Amino acid sequence: MAVVLRTDALTKRFGPLTAVDRLDIEVREGEIFGFLGPNGAGKTTTLRLLCALIAPTSGSAELAGMRLGRDDERIRASVGILTEHPGLYERLTAAENLRFFASLYGLDKRTADAQVDRFLGLMGLTEQRDRPVATFSRGMKQKMAIARAALHEPRILFLDEPTTGLDPDAARTVRDLITSLAREGRTVFLCTHNLDEADRLCDRIAFFRHRVIRIAEPDSLRAELYGRTVEIRVVPAPLPAHLERIRAVAGVREAWLENGSILVRTDDPLRTDPAMVRTLVDAGADVAFVSERRASLEDVYLRVVHEEGEGT
Amino acid sequence: MTVLAGRASRATIIASVCSREWREALGNKLLVGMTLFPPIVILGAGVFAVAAAALYPPSEKDLRAIYAAAPAVAGLDPTEAVQGIIAQYFLVLFMLIPTVVPLTIAIYSVIGEKAARTLEPLLATPVGVGELLLAKSIASTIPAVVVTWIAYVIYLVSVVLLGSPAAVRAVTAPRWILAVVVMVPLLTALSVNLGILISTRVNDVRVAQQIGGLVVVPVVALGIAQVTGRVVLDDSSFIQMTVFLIVVDLVVFFLARLAFQRENILTRWR
Repeated sequence: MAVVLRTDALTKRFGPLTAVDRLDIEVREGEIFGFLGPNGAGKTTTLRLLCALIAPTSGSAELAGMRLGRDDERIRASVGILTEHPGLYERLTAAENLRFFASLYGLDKRTADAQVDRFLGLMGLTEQRDRPVATFSRGMKQKMAIARAALHEPRILFLDEPTTGLDPDAARTVRDLITSLAREGRTVFLCTHNLDEADRLCDRIAFFRHRVIRIAEPDSLRAELYGRTVEIRVVPAPLPAHLERIRAVAGVREAWLENGSILVRTDDPLRTDPAMVRTLVDAGADVAFVSERRASLEDVYLRVVHEEGEGT
Repeated sequence: MTVLAGRASRATIIASVCSREWREALGNKLLVGMTLFPPIVILGAGVFAVAAAALYPPSEKDLRAIYAAAPAVAGLDPTEAVQGIIAQYFLVLFMLIPTVVPLTIAIYSVIGEKAARTLEPLLATPVGVGELLLAKSIASTIPAVVVTWIAYVIYLVSVVLLGSPAAVRAVTAPRWILAVVVMVPLLTALSVNLGILISTRVNDVRVAQQIGGLVVVPVVALGIAQVTGRVVLDDSSFIQMTVFLIVVDLVVFFLARLAFQRENILTRWR
C-alpha cells in the first residue's frame, strides 16, 4: 500500500514547551492508524499540524502528495477532522449544519444533498434531519460531527476520540463506519483512549508522548513485550509437581499457577502446547482445556508508556 | 476512491456564511431584539417629536434659543423652524443605528462561535481566514444597513406626511441622502470590524459591547456640533468624511485580519 502521510522531524513548540518533538511517521493508504498517548501528550496538536490548521516550528510533512506549508488549502480539502468538541451550530438543523459545511468544501448542491442524506443515514440520524441540533443528545452530536468530518469523502480522516460519549450501539455504528471507510481505501488516523477500540480497529498503533515511543501492529507488540501466554486448566486443581514438569518442557519461557490454572509463556504455542498436554497426562493430571490468553493492549500501553516515562 | 471536496468560490463562501449567520441570528431572540430596538426607538421618537412640534408651538424664549443655535432656520415660522431643527436632529440620531446595531451582531458572530467551539471545524475547511472574515463582516453589515435604510425611509415618509416644508427640506437634503446611502454602509463596516477586532480579545459579549460602544462617541459629538451650528457639514466636508471613513474601514479590517489568524484562534483564543 502506498504511503499517504509522511512526516519528517515534524516539530511544534509553544514557547518553552515542545508539544510535538521530531515526529517521524508513515501512514499507508487504507490503513487505520491508532495514535495513543496520555492526556497532554500533544495528540491534538499533532492532528492540527497534519490538518494544516497550525504551522510547524520545524520539520515537514506530506499528505497525499501535498506538502504542508505549501499546499495547506488543498490539504484541508483532502482531509477531514473530528475535533475534540463537536462544534455544531445549535440553532440549525442537522441537515442545515451538514449542508453549510458541504458548501464550504465546494460541493455542488446536488452532491451536497446526496452526501447529507447518505451520512445522516449512515449515522442513523435521518429521522432527526430537520431537528435543531440543540435538541440532540451528546452522542447524536458526536455522530453529527463525524458525519461532517467525512461528508466530503476525504482521503485521510483524522478522528479525535470518535466514540467518546456514545452508547454501545452508537459506538458500534461509528466503528463500522471507520472500517467501511478504510475498506474504500481511505486512511483513518485515530486518536483514542479507548484501547479496546484501538485493538479492534487499528492495523498499526503509535504510542506517543510528545514524540513517538513505538509504532507497530498491536499483535506484534503484544508478542514482543509479553510473548504468548497459554492457560492450561487442570481439574480439580494443578499440583506443584505439574508446574515443575511444565517448566521442563522445551520452549517454555515461564510458568506459574493462577486461579486454578497453569499459565505458560511460550514463543511457539503450536509446538509447545501438545508437548505440555502429553506431559500433564503422563503425570496423571486431567486437562480440561488449553487456551491462548492475549495480553490486552492496555497492558502493552501501560508498559510502553511507563517505561518511556521512567526513561525520561 | 472519490474525493469530493474542491474549492468553493468566494461568492459561495460569502453566501453560505451569510445564510448560516442570519438563520442563527433569527433564532436568537435576544439578538433580534437588540438589533431592532435602537432603530424602533429612534424612529418612533423622531416621528413623535416632529408631530408633537406641530401641535405644541415653542414659546418666544425657546424660539430665540433655537434661532441662535441654528441660524439656518432663523426667520421661519416658529412651528416650521422647530420641526426643521427636530427633523435634522433625528437624522443625526439615525447615524447611531449603523454604529450600534452591527456592533452587537458582529460581537455575537465571533464570541458566539468561540463559546460554541464551532471555529475549529470551520477553520478546518479549505476556506481562507480572510474570506471567512470578509464573509462574517458582510453578514453583519447587510442587516444593519438594511434596517437603517428601512428606518430612514419610514422616517422620510412620516416627515413628508406630518412635517413642515422646512422639515421635509432637512430630511431630503442631498448631503443627508448621501450620508444615508454612502456613510451608513461605511459606518456599519467600521463598527462591524471593530466588533470583530474586540471579540478576538474578549470572551464576554457585555464587555465587548461596552468597549465597542465607544464608537458612537465621535458620531454623537459630530452630530451635536452640527445641530448646534458649531460645525457646518457642507458637501465638501461630507466627501472628506467619506474618504476618511473608507481609509479607517480599511485600516480596521486589516487589523481585524491580523487578529483573526488561524493559529491564534486555535491556540490562544480562550
